[in-house]
Amino acid sequence: MAAVGSPEPRQPKKGGKKVRRRLGFRLDMTPMVDVAFLLLTFFMLTTTFSKPKTMEINLPAERNDQTQVEVPESNVLTVRIMEGDKAYWNIGFKPPEPIELYESEGDARPTVSKAFRKMLRENRDRIRQEVGEDVMVLVLKLDKKARYQNLVDIIDELNIANPPIKRFSIADFTEADREEITQMLAGGAQPEPQPKETKKEKKKGAKKR
Amino acid sequence: MPKVKSKRVGYNLDMTPMVDVAFLLLTFFMLTTQFRPPEPTPIDLPSSNATVPLPDTDILMVQIGKNDELFLGVDAQPVRERIFKSTIQKQLEESGYPAIEDSLRKFKLSDAFPVTKNNLEKMIIAARFADPKLRPVIKADNNSSYEMVDFVMKTFKRTNMPTFNLITGFEGGSTD
Repeated sequence: MAAVGSPEPRQPKKGGKKVRRRLGFRLDMTPMVDVAFLLLTFFMLTTTFSKPKTMEINLPAERNDQTQVEVPESNVLTVRIMEGDKAYWNIGFKPPEPIELYESEGDARPTVSKAFRKMLRENRDRIRQEVGEDVMVLVLKLDKKARYQNLVDIIDELNIANPPIKRFSIADFTEADREEITQMLAGGAQPEPQPKETKKEKKKGAKKR
Repeated sequence: MPKVKSKRVGYNLDMTPMVDVAFLLLTFFMLTTQFRPPEPTPIDLPSSNATVPLPDTDILMVQIGKNDELFLGVDAQPVRERIFKSTIQKQLEESGYPAIEDSLRKFKLSDAFPVTKNNLEKMIIAARFADPKLRPVIKADNNSSYEMVDFVMKTFKRTNMPTFNLITGFEGGSTD
């Protein structure tokens, strides 16, 4: 039984007015303390301290041609994501190569695969060595049937790369992209030579953390 | 060797300090707790290593459920009223719905309301008129299709809000 002891009553001063004190007055505080603990437990268990986190995305404004940046095609790494977490990457106009986006373990929350990280790092380092500057631009093309998680995972991967890959853009997945991939899957047929235009990429994703 | 332990009859422990601390903690948790508004649809957030916290006010949140349902939410009631007047009211008037006042009152209290793809842009523009400081935010489910997310992103872009945030859960994983 929990009882809250009241503090010792002070000794009445001699010669002062005699105040009648209820000496040794005790109130059973058990129910109050019980309720207090109940509430305390409730609030402790329901509180979540973690606020939702956000990642910021900057897209270029639509009617603004100044954001068009010319990028040599050898610096452009295109990553395409299709339905069922299938990922393909290529540099410039080279044929796309399939890559595992997620580790193949049967995890509820899959993590981005080591192969994908390695691919990012290697391409980046190679371009840095060739040009002498960290100029790789990543173009992300997601099919309509791809999952939102794919987008977040890849952007997150770019954010946690060391140093973060700041130059990336999100582009539309077009029929030409789909064709290129089906062609590649059909047996590595060489894609017909593309018209040699300088690839214009909108620089979309100068994101901050 | 005493066989029987002497019982401490009427043993009294001063519990005042413990109760003090308990009340202190209780007060702390009561004051810091924020109750989350009920969600229109359960959303399983993707996790990321992003560390920017979501601001508390001036948020224009577009939620996308796992079956690509769209919801729009703003936190200020005047903004909600503006959205209602610019879009829903007209539709209701056209269809001859009688209790417009009632639905406005109900609408003002709703944290997030379902929208259609066609209405989204109009509503966002109305919200921006009412409060230009609004920060656009996308809260989408892991398994929502990219098509819908892309649609919302393009809508943000068209309404001249090229900077927005994606809400993610926190992932404590190592960075390599």
